[in-house]
Amino acid sequence: MRHRWISVLICAATTAAATAACGSGGAANQTADGKTELTIATFNEFGYEELFKEYEAAHPDIKITQRKTGQGQPHHQNLFTKLGAGSGLADIEGVEEGYLSQFMSKAGQFNDLKEIGPKVEDDRWLKWKTEAITTKDGKLMGYGTDIGPLAMCYRKDLFEKAGLPSDPEGVKALFTSWDAYFAAGDQFIAKVPGVAWFDSAAQVYNAMHNQLETGYYDKSDKLVVDTNADIKKNWNTVTAAVAKGQSARLGAFSNEWNTGFKLGKFATKTCPSWMLGVVESQAGPENKGLWAVTDAFPNGGGNWGGSYLTVPKQSKNAQKAAELAAWLTAPEQQIKAFKAKGTFPSQNKALDAPELLEQTNAYFGDVKAGALFATQAKKIKAAQYKGPADGQIQETVFSPALQSVEQGKNADEAWKTAVEGAQKAAK
Amino acid sequence: MMRRPSFAIYGFLAAFVLGSAFPFYWSFLVASRDNSVLTGDFTLVPGGNFWTNATRVFDTVPFWKALGNSFIVSGTVTFSVVLLSTLAGFAFAKLKFRGRGVLFLFVVATLAVPTQLGIIPLYMAMAEFGWAGELEAVIVPNLVTAFGVFWMRQYLLDAIPDELVEAARMDGCSLWRAFWHVALPAARPAAAMLGVFTFMQSWNDFLWPLVVLNADNPTLQVALEKLQSGYYVDYSLVLAGTTLATVPVLIVFLVLGRQIVAGVMQGAVKG
Amino acid sequence: MTATLSKVDRGRAQEARPRPPRRYRLSNADAKYSPYLFVAPFFVLFGTIGLFPLLYTAYVSLFDWEIGDDDPPFVGLENYRTLFTDDQFWNALFNTFSIFLLSSAPQIVVAVLIAALLNANLRARTGWRMGVLLPYVASLVALTIIFGNLFGPQYGLVNDVLGLLGIDPIDWQASTFGSHVAIASMVNWRWTGYNALIILAAMQAIPRDVYEAALVDGASALRRFFSITLPMLKPTLIFVIVTSTIGGLQIFTEPKLFEPSGGSGGGTEHQYQTVVLYLYQSAFQGFDLGYASAIAWVLFLVVIAVAGLNFFLTRRAVK
Repeated sequence: MRHRWISVLICAATTAAATAACGSGGAANQTADGKTELTIATFNEFGYEELFKEYEAAHPDIKITQRKTGQGQPHHQNLFTKLGAGSGLADIEGVEEGYLSQFMSKAGQFNDLKEIGPKVEDDRWLKWKTEAITTKDGKLMGYGTDIGPLAMCYRKDLFEKAGLPSDPEGVKALFTSWDAYFAAGDQFIAKVPGVAWFDSAAQVYNAMHNQLETGYYDKSDKLVVDTNADIKKNWNTVTAAVAKGQSARLGAFSNEWNTGFKLGKFATKTCPSWMLGVVESQAGPENKGLWAVTDAFPNGGGNWGGSYLTVPKQSKNAQKAAELAAWLTAPEQQIKAFKAKGTFPSQNKALDAPELLEQTNAYFGDVKAGALFATQAKKIKAAQYKGPADGQIQETVFSPALQSVEQGKNADEAWKTAVEGAQKAAK
Repeated sequence: MMRRPSFAIYGFLAAFVLGSAFPFYWSFLVASRDNSVLTGDFTLVPGGNFWTNATRVFDTVPFWKALGNSFIVSGTVTFSVVLLSTLAGFAFAKLKFRGRGVLFLFVVATLAVPTQLGIIPLYMAMAEFGWAGELEAVIVPNLVTAFGVFWMRQYLLDAIPDELVEAARMDGCSLWRAFWHVALPAARPAAAMLGVFTFMQSWNDFLWPLVVLNADNPTLQVALEKLQSGYYVDYSLVLAGTTLATVPVLIVFLVLGRQIVAGVMQGAVKG
Repeated sequence: MTATLSKVDRGRAQEARPRPPRRYRLSNADAKYSPYLFVAPFFVLFGTIGLFPLLYTAYVSLFDWEIGDDDPPFVGLENYRTLFTDDQFWNALFNTFSIFLLSSAPQIVVAVLIAALLNANLRARTGWRMGVLLPYVASLVALTIIFGNLFGPQYGLVNDVLGLLGIDPIDWQASTFGSHVAIASMVNWRWTGYNALIILAAMQAIPRDVYEAALVDGASALRRFFSITLPMLKPTLIFVIVTSTIGGLQIFTEPKLFEPSGGSGGGTEHQYQTVVLYLYQSAFQGFDLGYASAIAWVLFLVVIAVAGLNFFLTRRAVK
């Protein structure tokens, strides 16, 4: 009976599939020793590893399991897949700012933290940070973790070459408004041939766009792409600069973009706090001391990046999950996360913490980076209202359309494509 | 004995293999140096950082546990796919039964289903079975593939002379025995090939395992994804991880590769 | 064509042979039911796990279904109707076919050639075979960087080489044809060795004595290849052509890797967005699960039609 195991295997496969449906029905989130297990799904670096141990020590009935994904993209695809499947989400899910509009359009699947969470002081977070994750009817869908306040990075040596001021104070005049910024760009490219003023049109445009009071949608979720004159004005300004040669035409995060840093092919870069590490890693040690950053940004401030902790309705321990999330996002904890992994805190008190204010960055000439970005974070006035397809319009419609202009497409035609694309995305 | 091929053939093959192997060498190159290889400082000489980077990989991800899981998953899947596909392929190629043509066309048609959307309903099914987070969820859906059935069927069409099956049956062999003594030996080279493909594919499978497995019980590819965290990617670390993850696959290939070669030598089944 | 039609099909000739009478001890039940048992695992597994996603997708395609919706409205065939008037879909279909043609045709020819070389009496056979399959296990991260560096519009190696030859640089991202060529070369690089090994396995199944007989008859190497090897490879060639048609029309990974931003738009103006990329974008960026499901089903039918056509063409061409 040498081959009886074949039939055994086949039988096993058949019956396993047929009977498994009756297996483990209500998997309660209890560990063997009776603790409540809380799962938390994060991506990138939230800097929470040590904090989990601290929380577990203070709450002996809780066991925390972290599901960590490296990159944001697979994390969010995972999140939305399980949202679609109706099960499998962690008790706490991290959501990044770039996916906020998609997330908010699914707010019904998540818990209102004002309702289930512990009492949290009203002014814990920067106002705009909380605003962005509050629904129109006042529900709080997530606790803010970190942010990415924008400053301007620039190449000191290239500025000097162009006869522009290059010290952190003097340079601020160039970055007071977008008009001043692009005018300085004209001056720069006239003096330094072969080097552009900025890396990519979409990077600049998105920063400008997010400063507008009204973006692609108005507050009644009506798409206003073709009627909001500010959008067209920004479009015209940026595409005009591209036509003049101010753009290095390097798509952000592409290989060519990395090479552009190395070769010094552009003189300024819109810089959220986390971008300093990117610049250092891409430009490399041979460019150390050439890059600088200043606490100025055209037309005020801005934000790019940062995340929230949310509690899905799928969670069987929503209340305990909310307690943990509230604890993690308290200023004392976020400062520890900042020290562990450099995530820039979104909490008012944390922005005044000495640990943050004293942080310096050696690559950028020992600049007091913590204090600099804290100043920038406070300059942001309000969060722009984001409609349901807002993120999609920015990522898959307007950014590619601007790149197509950089690739040589007529700006008016590209505008038409962008408007049509936005209308299609919003449908 | 056939004569040995000329230098031209070796030369051509060497060029082809060199092109195929370049990304591996290059991955190792970056893993043994740092990110600067990627932007400008091009070189073909490895540096001395490989073990440092490898140690960082071991410190960052549960490498050994993930390696064990990957072996369990890929090993089980490969074993099952090869066996069950050969079985079905043999039936479709050499046995006569009602509905054979239609059933076979159905098998091939299932290949044409785009899988990208399948992950949502598949996750629902796995959650229903209670397998979400378990290795079963990445093993069971892949126990037998349409690709494998199709491949073994096409191979066995000509590889086994009809007379051989008939003869076995006239000797009073059951079909099981005919499969065991006639089909399996004849299928060896193709089965080894299918084994290599299946193992490699299962080994490198990423999106579905990432969705369905939990971080504390990952396969290797899922574990290695964590090396890419942070706002900028440390490629020397990432590529050290992928280099380490490729080594076991190459070992499996060497082992099964001998089977593929052995298949040529045994002319017996042709008799 | 007419010449091939007049020939007697090989397979049919075999079937026409008189079969031995069933007077042996062979159990009737065994002959009748065992084959079903042999193919059962596939169908059982498909029935329990594969079928559900398929039917679910078909069901979802009839709704205006966003990911995470509780109560999506039923729209009947509306998604399909929209699809047929959707320029982006037709553009994606065109791109898919263009990349498919640029990749599969050269790939199969080269694969047969490589297989023939590998089938020679080489030293260190396993090493060579392993060598050609290496692209199949290459990490996608490494590929993204390498091909990104090769086909970079401004600092790419390929353009540098073209420059040395006095040819103007090509914007591999912006140009439709250029991007298709770049992606096709990526596809060819990844899959040629793989197909070569499949064909090689079939070549090895050809009995040596057939060749030796031909050698005695004084047939040239080329003639031996066309009159012995190729016809004997027919089932495998059908396999390779059908599977690479199916795989080629579902092409996803390579164009996705080619997009520098990592998105699924397939270029700034969808120059290289394929059907599956569009499907993926609709589902996971647009959350439009209903529409994405409709794309999936239409693509399924297109793939079946083209694979079927290729199957019949191959069956006729290779005798």
